[in-house]
Amino acid sequence: MKLAYHYNKASIIIAVSVLLIGGLIYYFSIRYIANDQLDRDLTEEIDEVKVYINLHNQLPKQVDFDEDQTTFTKIETKNLPRRFFDTLYYNDKEKIVESGRAVEGSIEFNNSTYKVVISESKEATEYLVQLILLITILLAAILLAVLLITNRLILNGLWNPFYKILHQLKTFDISDRSQLAIKQTKVDEFNELNTALLNMTSKAKSDFQNVKSFTENASHEMMTPLAVVTSKLDTLIQDEDLNAGQLTQITNIYSYINKLSRLNQSLLLLVKIDNNLIKEVDQINLKDTINDKIRQFQELIQGKVLLLTSHLGNKHINASKYLIDILLNNLFSNAVRHNYMGGEIKIILTNKQLIIKNTGEKSALADTQIFERFQRSTHSEGTGMGLTLAKNICTYYQYTISYEYLDDWHVFTIGF
Amino acid sequence: MKLLIVEDEKDLRENIESYFTDEGNICESCNDLKSAIDKVTIYTYDCILLDLGLPDGEGFTLLNYLKANHKNDGVLILSARNSIDDKVKGLNDGADDYLIKPFHLSELKARVESIFRRKTFNGDKILVYDLVNIDLIGREVTANNIPVELTRKEYDLLIYFIANKGKRISRNAIAEHLWGDEIDMADNFDFIYTHIKNLRRKLFDVTKKDYIKSIYGIGYKFL
Repeated sequence: MKLAYHYNKASIIIAVSVLLIGGLIYYFSIRYIANDQLDRDLTEEIDEVKVYINLHNQLPKQVDFDEDQTTFTKIETKNLPRRFFDTLYYNDKEKIVESGRAVEGSIEFNNSTYKVVISESKEATEYLVQLILLITILLAAILLAVLLITNRLILNGLWNPFYKILHQLKTFDISDRSQLAIKQTKVDEFNELNTALLNMTSKAKSDFQNVKSFTENASHEMMTPLAVVTSKLDTLIQDEDLNAGQLTQITNIYSYINKLSRLNQSLLLLVKIDNNLIKEVDQINLKDTINDKIRQFQELIQGKVLLLTSHLGNKHINASKYLIDILLNNLFSNAVRHNYMGGEIKIILTNKQLIIKNTGEKSALADTQIFERFQRSTHSEGTGMGLTLAKNICTYYQYTISYEYLDDWHVFTIGF
Repeated sequence: MKLLIVEDEKDLRENIESYFTDEGNICESCNDLKSAIDKVTIYTYDCILLDLGLPDGEGFTLLNYLKANHKNDGVLILSARNSIDDKVKGLNDGADDYLIKPFHLSELKARVESIFRRKTFNGDKILVYDLVNIDLIGREVTANNIPVELTRKEYDLLIYFIANKGKRISRNAIAEHLWGDEIDMADNFDFIYTHIKNLRRKLFDVTKKDYIKSIYGIGYKFL
């Protein structure tokens, strides 16, 4: 989940709970204070009643005590303890029932005990409490909104360098020689992060370049000695004194030199493909290209008396001619090489896929391994790089390549 | 032919030199860019064999020098780098051909001869060898004034053999020549045998001469 989400979640939970608890405490304290105030009023009223009775020697009439409602009831028990309680208050003027606060107590008059109950409207204080509550809620809402806005501003402003570096890391390409573009920020931690990343990526890049140029140089440097060996052998075989046995040995040496240089070329090509160094793109008519390839392999196919059938639909792709040529060469060589005399090859090209299938050994190849480097069958004369190259070329162009053994056919399928 | 070999690997240079000198070609050689430029300033060569990676710079510099000074020497690039970019650059900068190391001397010879023919023949471009006449433009072969029908591969082989006349050529070199770089079938010698048998028979039918001699264990020699 996004940083903003976590940020907002935390601040909302904290803000809401603090406001909620604070609001409750606030509400109850205000209520308590208001009640206390009312109770004090009511106590005064009772005292006033007592003063009135002492002065006038009679029970006061209702009207004498403006808003308050006072009732006197004769009771038997003496010394009724003073008690405050919530009650209902009938507002005579507005003819409505309001919540009220009342006090009861006892007074002595004409040698008898009266219970006196004075009730007072709580409407005014209730209203005050409600108002205060409303203001509190309003404040809470404003505070939350302010918090959300500040969070957003902080995330956009303060965390901006973080998002910038994140974006650069996402588009980081180890084969690209340019460095990360890093700006100084006001935040020390981000500066530290940037410096650490800069060091790390430049180290990774220089290591990568070293490995790459090492591989390239190693392969190139190998070619010149091979050229020297070949030219020496070419000179050596001119010697009339060499016998057939010695010449056969030289033929073998030639074959191994050839294999070594092919292996080297394949490794170099793999490095190039892995590093996106083959950039050129041509419009290729795959049908024509495959027909050309069939012609090119004609002799080899006839040599093994293979029956080749092809069903080629129209398919255009955008890719490097060079790589597609290598891909087809490897698949065709494979189909011819691993076939038996008088076997068959079928080539099917549709808009979605290219299928090359051939007869051959009557058992499936280990399909997880065949695309691995240096995996080759025991009878194979190849370098073991052919299918690896084919796979890498397919991966490079986001094609799929798969192998299956189906009804005695070895089937290679490329999905576009 | 007058050749200049620009190659810093001494052994390779010497082997090329000895392979070409046999036939009365004149070979000069040098091992760096500076002396190569000195030489082409003074002399004209039919073909310059140019290594790209030289101790004092890239071989491309020499190509640019030739171009800037309007020199028409043929150039064959010898490179350890099998890179399309280099190949395209070399050919665009005026090189006539591009050969990737390692190569067979017979292949080198055939390429150099081809450049030489392109640069020097002006008229009808007829290559004559003993009784065999080859029209290089029409790709037609006659022997004893009788047309000889050759397949494309047989024709290639004949040109290749004539360029390397009198030399022993290994089957491996012939296979690599016929199949090129791309197809990894260079170990398959059966096809070479068929092509050579046919070429030999076709030439023999009209000339009554056996031009191709088999050398057991290694390959062939064109006489």
